[in-house]
Amino acid sequence: MGIRDSFGWALGAAAAGAIAVASPALAEDSVTFASWGGSLQEAQRKALMNPAEEALGITIREDTTNGIADVRAQVLANAVKWDITEQGSNTCVILKSEGRIEPLDYSVIDTTGVNPAVVDSHWIGVLYYSTVIGWNTDKFGDDGPQTWADFWDVEKFPGARAMYAKPYYNLEAALMADGVPMDQVYDVLSTDEGLDRAFAKLEEIKPHVAVWWRSGAQSAQLIKDGEVDMISIWNGRISSAIDDGASAALTFNQGVMDFDCLVVPKGAPNKQLAMKVINEFLKADNQANLPQYITYGPTNEAAFDTGKISPEVADAVNSSPQNAKNQLVLKSDFYIGKIDELQERFDEMIQE
Amino acid sequence: MSETQLSLPISVRGITKSYGRFKALDDVSLEVASGEFITLLGPSGSGKTTLLMVLAGFSRPDCGSVRFGDEEVIRMPPHKRGVGMVFQNYALFPHMNVFNNVAYPLKLRGVGSADIAQRVERALNLVQLGAFMERRVDQLSGGQRQRVALARAIVFEPRILLMDEPLSALDKKLREQMQIEIKHLHEQLGMTTVYVTHDQREALTMSDRVAVINDGRFMQLDAPKQLYERPRSQFVADFIGESSFLPVEVERNEARLNGTPLRLAEQPSAGGHQLLVVRPEKLEVLTNGSGGDLNCLTGTVKELVYQGESFLFYVSLDGGAEIAVRSPSRREALAVVPERGQPIRLGLHPEDTILVPAQS
Amino acid sequence: MTAIPRETPVPVSAGTNADGLAEDARRERWQMFGLCSPALLLVGLVVFIPVGWLFWLSFFDAQGALTFENYERMWGSRSYIRTFQTTFEISFIVTGACVLMGYPLAYMLSQLPQRAAGICMIFVILPFWTSLLVRTYAWLVLLQRQGLINTWMIDLGIIDEPLRLVHNFTGTVIGMVHILLPFLVLPLFAAMKSIDRDYLKAASNLGASPTRAFWQVFFPLSLPGLFAGVVLVFVLCLGFYVTPALLGGGKTIMWAMRIETSVNLYANWGAASALGVVLLIVTLGLLYVLNKAFRLDKIMAGPR
Repeated sequence: MGIRDSFGWALGAAAAGAIAVASPALAEDSVTFASWGGSLQEAQRKALMNPAEEALGITIREDTTNGIADVRAQVLANAVKWDITEQGSNTCVILKSEGRIEPLDYSVIDTTGVNPAVVDSHWIGVLYYSTVIGWNTDKFGDDGPQTWADFWDVEKFPGARAMYAKPYYNLEAALMADGVPMDQVYDVLSTDEGLDRAFAKLEEIKPHVAVWWRSGAQSAQLIKDGEVDMISIWNGRISSAIDDGASAALTFNQGVMDFDCLVVPKGAPNKQLAMKVINEFLKADNQANLPQYITYGPTNEAAFDTGKISPEVADAVNSSPQNAKNQLVLKSDFYIGKIDELQERFDEMIQE
Repeated sequence: MSETQLSLPISVRGITKSYGRFKALDDVSLEVASGEFITLLGPSGSGKTTLLMVLAGFSRPDCGSVRFGDEEVIRMPPHKRGVGMVFQNYALFPHMNVFNNVAYPLKLRGVGSADIAQRVERALNLVQLGAFMERRVDQLSGGQRQRVALARAIVFEPRILLMDEPLSALDKKLREQMQIEIKHLHEQLGMTTVYVTHDQREALTMSDRVAVINDGRFMQLDAPKQLYERPRSQFVADFIGESSFLPVEVERNEARLNGTPLRLAEQPSAGGHQLLVVRPEKLEVLTNGSGGDLNCLTGTVKELVYQGESFLFYVSLDGGAEIAVRSPSRREALAVVPERGQPIRLGLHPEDTILVPAQS
Repeated sequence: MTAIPRETPVPVSAGTNADGLAEDARRERWQMFGLCSPALLLVGLVVFIPVGWLFWLSFFDAQGALTFENYERMWGSRSYIRTFQTTFEISFIVTGACVLMGYPLAYMLSQLPQRAAGICMIFVILPFWTSLLVRTYAWLVLLQRQGLINTWMIDLGIIDEPLRLVHNFTGTVIGMVHILLPFLVLPLFAAMKSIDRDYLKAASNLGASPTRAFWQVFFPLSLPGLFAGVVLVFVLCLGFYVTPALLGGGKTIMWAMRIETSVNLYANWGAASALGVVLLIVTLGLLYVLNKAFRLDKIMAGPR
């Protein structure tokens, strides 16, 4: 979720710096894992960390990350204190290209059952998350917008909208709203005309977007407080909001699926042990634990065969076969090398 | 400034001003003649400044009347009263230079700029600061600020000028020099002036009349000489000049000090217990046989102090009281100064034999 | 002189001990300087070195090669220019609103009796005890579509549709004004308190109505405090991050938010550093111009 939760990076970076100075190299029988905090990390503690600690007889220390800047700061300062950190797929690709992460040791990490699309020499997917359409059930009942075309249709679905303040997911959604079939989205987006088309479509919805949200917490608050009537939002966030009593619903239809991956920052203190822990995190049996606590899906597809995931749970999980088939898988490669230009163009568009 | 500047009489009647249960002014009345220089003299907290603030309009009394000429001004806001005022700390505007400070009241009155320049220059020349027009206030000495404040207060030719201890921040020499200057200025311009001070010498030096004020009430209102020579209360006699007080019994128009009758220039005003006011410089050291027509006091010299222009010695009277005696250090007076421990006879002229009622 | 001194003093010439006394004076100056040195060292360490490093970094690209690309990026982009405009626009409006609200407030406080002023002052300072984030979120609760203000106004029948009070320029300005108001009020209040009331009495005595006395005497004398507050608020505005990020709805992008974006977007610190350098230079430049225009140094020194 490296691209997701950048809000508060400064605090995180400062904290990382302080910890890097303060803590000496940790003992061999422990590793430090930095995830995104909040309900996700709580779920990961129970689903992944506890079983891994038990299996390896080690201690997993926790920290939280605010994204790519943290990893860069640690590696640049030569003060790496995280052995493993979870980052968004784009971040992982960028970190690899910048040479800031270690290659993974696949003699230790068993990839059986893991979708080959999320396995790379330097990173490996650990969970799927989706950007989905959510709506306020007080306003639309169960008949909220089911497609991006609906989301764009201000006559049929009047009301305030909220979208992510970055180009990711939005460009894809815009093209789908403009009638591009799901499997052709990246083909169209890769051309200049296609990109212009996506931005033009975003211009169209812009006057109706009350908030371009910048953090996951903010997006959940917007739907919970009824500040907007519909929203493009990460499925875990809206599920948690609904569990907390928010009058909201979501559809996985035309959702944009992306994944978080595990990386080992260059110069991590306990590299060898980190590989073993990653191996544990990816075991089908452990991966099957995650949907019990949070609706993010396992990357090890064998998890669905363990019998741990009930049909009801599978219905709520974004990467379950029945949900995954209706979604677009985000293509990180598309963004590599041009995210700065895209972000600038996007910012120019949304600025008042 | 025209030669014949208008001035107005001030009539204060029945002014009372209280702060909670404390009465700063207690039914005060005062008539100031047109062109008169009157000084309000009193210790701090006596109410003199409060009365001045009532005249200026900064303090709202509980009741009473203030008239400038024929006009009742008691409910008139300060900016409409048209009186000039010099503040204790001068209150010169720090963001304006000397010229602009003095020009300010004229600008407020819509005077044309050529006229302003002329009048400001005249006012500053009058206080001998013609060369300082472009100076900033913080570049002036205390005495110069005082003069600027004075110029600012008179430049618009007010018919009444109020001054609130204007010289208290200056050193002694400068203060005495300014006293004379202000007096001359008043003679030249002739506006009715009410001056507040706690310095009795300043009050006596400058004023046509002095109002001694204490506890919110006038104790005595008289010309300086009258005030000093004929105090009508122990407070006034004590506050103005140095005095010793000796108890006197008055019976059937005759006053007796320790049983000895006193020669008096005036009939005593009342009977019973009174006090004899003895000013140190009014006593004469008597040699054998002299002073037949004077009231005579006898005693012993206790202490002798040489003070340059005079000798001061303390005498323990035969009746038991102790008084101070001042004798000038002139050669012939020096001859009769006794030594410590010697008996002494002192004479007091009947004209200087003043009785005041004993305070209850 | 007829008296003969019992001891003959040592004859002294004009320059006796001059060198020694000068030496003492010099040593005293160095000792004074020595006392300041921990503070100077600290300022050097925490201000000049990091800022210098920031400046240095801004001239390098991801590969560590010398480059101006971090600066060139800004000139070319409409988005950066827009951000720059927004930042200044917000800073001007917030500062202006703070002056309009803070001046009467400070004036009222300065005229109140000591005790009452002290109590009111606590209310002014109270927000400082709460975190910036909490206060910003509190505004969200008040201003949002189903927030208190809109709910009340709809219930009272004043409006039919909720007003867009937050997640835009308006919300950002409201939030920032609230947070920055004390920074204007405090120096202004101090300046007003130090104005001798006799100045106003004098003005009034010389014939100025209360209105004229205020504008011609009190107001000019309060300007040092006002300028101190204005400069403080304005400079703080330029670097504001949390409030616009939370209340701006993503549409109001200020300079500090752009720095945050750059840190995440680019592989090296250069991009973000360049933004910081530009903000620093523009702020210093602005202070210089204001100083020249209003003689701030004189005003700041205050009346003596």
